[in-house]
Amino acid sequence: MAHSSKNKWVDYVVLGLSVFLIFCLLFESYIVLPSLVSWMGRWHPLVLHFPIVLLLMALFLGLTGKKVPYQLLTVAVLSALLTAISGFFLGKEVAVKGDLLFRHQWLGAGVALLAALWYALTQVQLSNNIYTKGLQVVLVGLVVATGHYGGMVTHGEGFLALPTKKRPIKIPENPIIYTDVVTRILENKCVSCHNPNKRKGELVMTSLAALLKGGESGNTLVPGLPEESELIRRLHLPMQDEEHMPPEGKTPLTQDEIGILERWISLGASDTLRLAEIKRTDPLVGYVEKMMQPDLTEKWIKLPMVQDSTLQNLASNYITIHRISSNSKGLSVSVYLPPEYDPKAITDLQRISKNIIELDLSGIPLGNKELDFVALCDNLEWLEVDGTPITDAEFKKLKGLTQLKMLKAYSTSISDESISVLKELKELKTLYVWDTQLSVSGLAQLKESLPNLEINVGSNAELKAEVAKNGNNL
Amino acid sequence: MEEHGNKEENPLKVNRRHFFSQLSVGIGSLALGSLLIPDLFKGDVKQLASQPLGIPHFAPKAKRIIYLFQAGGPSQLESFDYKPTLQKRMGEDLPDSVRGGQRLTGMTSGQDSFPLMPSAAKFHQYGESGKWISDYFPHIAKIADEITVIRSMQTEAINHDPAITFFQTGSQISGRPSMGSWLSYGLGNENKNLPSFVVLTSRGKGNSQGLYSKLWSSGFLDSKHQGVLLRSGKDPVLYLNDPEGISRSDKRHLLDHVSSLNKLHHVETGDDEIESRIAQYEMAYRMQMSVPNVMDISKEPESIIKMYGEDCQVPGTYAANALQARRLAENGVRFIQLYHQGWDQHGNLPNEMAGQAKDVDRASAALVLDLKQRGMLEDTLVVWGGEFGRTNFCQGHFNPESYGRDHHPRAFSIWMAGGGIKPGLTYGKTDEFGYNVIENPVHINDFHATMMHVMGLDHEQLVYKHQGRRFRLTDVAGNVVKDLLI
Repeated sequence: MAHSSKNKWVDYVVLGLSVFLIFCLLFESYIVLPSLVSWMGRWHPLVLHFPIVLLLMALFLGLTGKKVPYQLLTVAVLSALLTAISGFFLGKEVAVKGDLLFRHQWLGAGVALLAALWYALTQVQLSNNIYTKGLQVVLVGLVVATGHYGGMVTHGEGFLALPTKKRPIKIPENPIIYTDVVTRILENKCVSCHNPNKRKGELVMTSLAALLKGGESGNTLVPGLPEESELIRRLHLPMQDEEHMPPEGKTPLTQDEIGILERWISLGASDTLRLAEIKRTDPLVGYVEKMMQPDLTEKWIKLPMVQDSTLQNLASNYITIHRISSNSKGLSVSVYLPPEYDPKAITDLQRISKNIIELDLSGIPLGNKELDFVALCDNLEWLEVDGTPITDAEFKKLKGLTQLKMLKAYSTSISDESISVLKELKELKTLYVWDTQLSVSGLAQLKESLPNLEINVGSNAELKAEVAKNGNNL
Repeated sequence: MEEHGNKEENPLKVNRRHFFSQLSVGIGSLALGSLLIPDLFKGDVKQLASQPLGIPHFAPKAKRIIYLFQAGGPSQLESFDYKPTLQKRMGEDLPDSVRGGQRLTGMTSGQDSFPLMPSAAKFHQYGESGKWISDYFPHIAKIADEITVIRSMQTEAINHDPAITFFQTGSQISGRPSMGSWLSYGLGNENKNLPSFVVLTSRGKGNSQGLYSKLWSSGFLDSKHQGVLLRSGKDPVLYLNDPEGISRSDKRHLLDHVSSLNKLHHVETGDDEIESRIAQYEMAYRMQMSVPNVMDISKEPESIIKMYGEDCQVPGTYAANALQARRLAENGVRFIQLYHQGWDQHGNLPNEMAGQAKDVDRASAALVLDLKQRGMLEDTLVVWGGEFGRTNFCQGHFNPESYGRDHHPRAFSIWMAGGGIKPGLTYGKTDEFGYNVIENPVHINDFHATMMHVMGLDHEQLVYKHQGRRFRLTDVAGNVVKDLLI
């Protein structure tokens, strides 16, 4: 047949490439690639998509009993062989192959050679044989497995993992800087490329020893000398710079994260150093403590949805409402005194009461109605009721605000009767209560039940001294 | 947000370049092109468009700034930069090697000698931070651990007007927007009933220089960002109150009518300033109520009056303005700028400076403490300082009782407190003569960049396009002084 003579040299090419591939695999350790050949390896990510699609198409037709068009099979097999060979070239760039790459390589070679075998069987008219069917089934499995391992090599092992609701592990109290903080930053931002499987630039960042060993450029991490450390230098390069890390398209480190790495290296890059051992004035303490605070937006994820239009309707010239950070459901509300005050302006906010995290009512002539509303805002963390006419009677409505961290109640008429209410606010960190009827002994009592509470009694030196004295004697 | 708005809404809002770029490509392809890629002909607008106005670029440390400007150039050598060497070498000529060719003003360039003059005020160390502060400032000395002194400030200007204009606008030449206007432009109003940039002035007995409203002008920015001067006395804002016989409801009717006419005009011309004008009329209407409310200190408790000093009950004094500043800060004003005039001591420095210091010392310290006891110091940046420093040699006759000092741009001191700035630091260092900065210089541009940083703004991102190029407060310079940040 005219067409079979034309096919002859396709057969030879398939055979040749298969032999070449087998040769490569067998003599891998003896092969040194010229740079141009090595460059051809870079085409692997481009060509690899062809055999996946074409082979799966051909396999689908074959397994459903349809005739597999000759051209389709030819192109699929050739592309599979070229992909495997280019993949082999690319793999040579990595000095030591990790598990993932090792499996990917052999599975990939398996795909190419089995495809070549299938081609050979078709050429000798054995395509409907039961063995060919079996071969096709195996090939489907191999294509999927090879693609999967290849994906893991490129994108990291967890790339295809189901989106777990994994909350980042909380940083423990008094963390070990390396284990609990530095490792977390590296894992989030660096390790997907610098792990034993991928080793970009010959650098592995999964252990301190590997970091100290460094990568191609050398001096990756010089304990005590962040300015000499390649790691830090690259973080500080401008975004556009080729050498900037992480490279374009990946999430860069935040200023705080860079600060942590830098200070940790300055302090000797120790893997035993704990937060409490660092001088309080060191910037590292600030960075780490900031990182230890729970992510705000995360925290408010359970709050009810609130539309921008709702906020616009409720806001006025005298009521400012904004989201605490760009998309958060947590709101910050400030009320300014309008010329004609009507409590309704405030009680209308009831619709968003669960979302209000910060509420500033300073200087507003508050009464029972408004305080009833405040009591509904049980997610409040920050409340300002200073300079208002509230007394113990209204103040006791705040009892249920157990999330409250900051309370400004200076210049009000509350007295020791309110101490019992304040004692209920277990989360309270800061309290401003000068210019009130609260007595020093009352405050001392409060301090006793909430030892972590910072009580601000104003800049009046004598009173401050007295409270401090009583507070310390407890 | 005004200049990123939809340029298509009014046919007159097309500038020359925009017009030609459209013309050159042809109407048809343009229509297609702009459908597919809306920004095709606008050049690189990506960066700008990604920075909406009215919200910070990143989490701010400070929500507002109170700037206590000491106009005239208070001497650093009698306040925060202690130089014992001047005492030891009193009367000796300033070595040329130290002066290093620094130009002088016309007031001292004719002098045949430059005798070194030590401070007439004694210095002591205060607080855990061990700050050196002169005896002229006993109250500020008490808050030594709250404040951070920068002794290495630098400017290029040597005379008052360019120097103060530089501080206010980032340029020695008038016409750029003031720093308060930039912040108003970048962050918007917190309280819609008060301007976001307010100015209060006071004057001491010392030799003073003029203050002009150009210092708080919004320059090429929308005029709603302009600083509003609150005067002492019956009418804090001129022409704000209704004339006799006009009731508030009459005023309301008048405004409604005027604004509907203005809106018609706006549709015709597309001029954004008309919209600002409408907004300003409305704001003024609300300010008729809100301003007297803020200015009324009659409900301030006795203890607060005592803190700021009795003077704070006398309208127009620095102490009264400092108290006012706190009230404005509580009411959501973003940038509150005080000016205290009279710090230009070319002669009789010991007397004059003692007087000037007495005017501001107690109230400045009280302001910091008052903010602190209200939990507001954390998110309010307080800055105290003048436009330049003063020479280490005396101007005129050598007389330790009544010497003067000339302008000195190379090194001077300011302090900051609160608002994301590390407390208690002493930053930067001058040589033993107090003439040159030898460690950590902070240029005005750097200072501006840092100030914007604590407010959550990137000084390189907040730009305004005017006359064909983009302007910034820091123009083409400025680095955030990271060492100062918490």
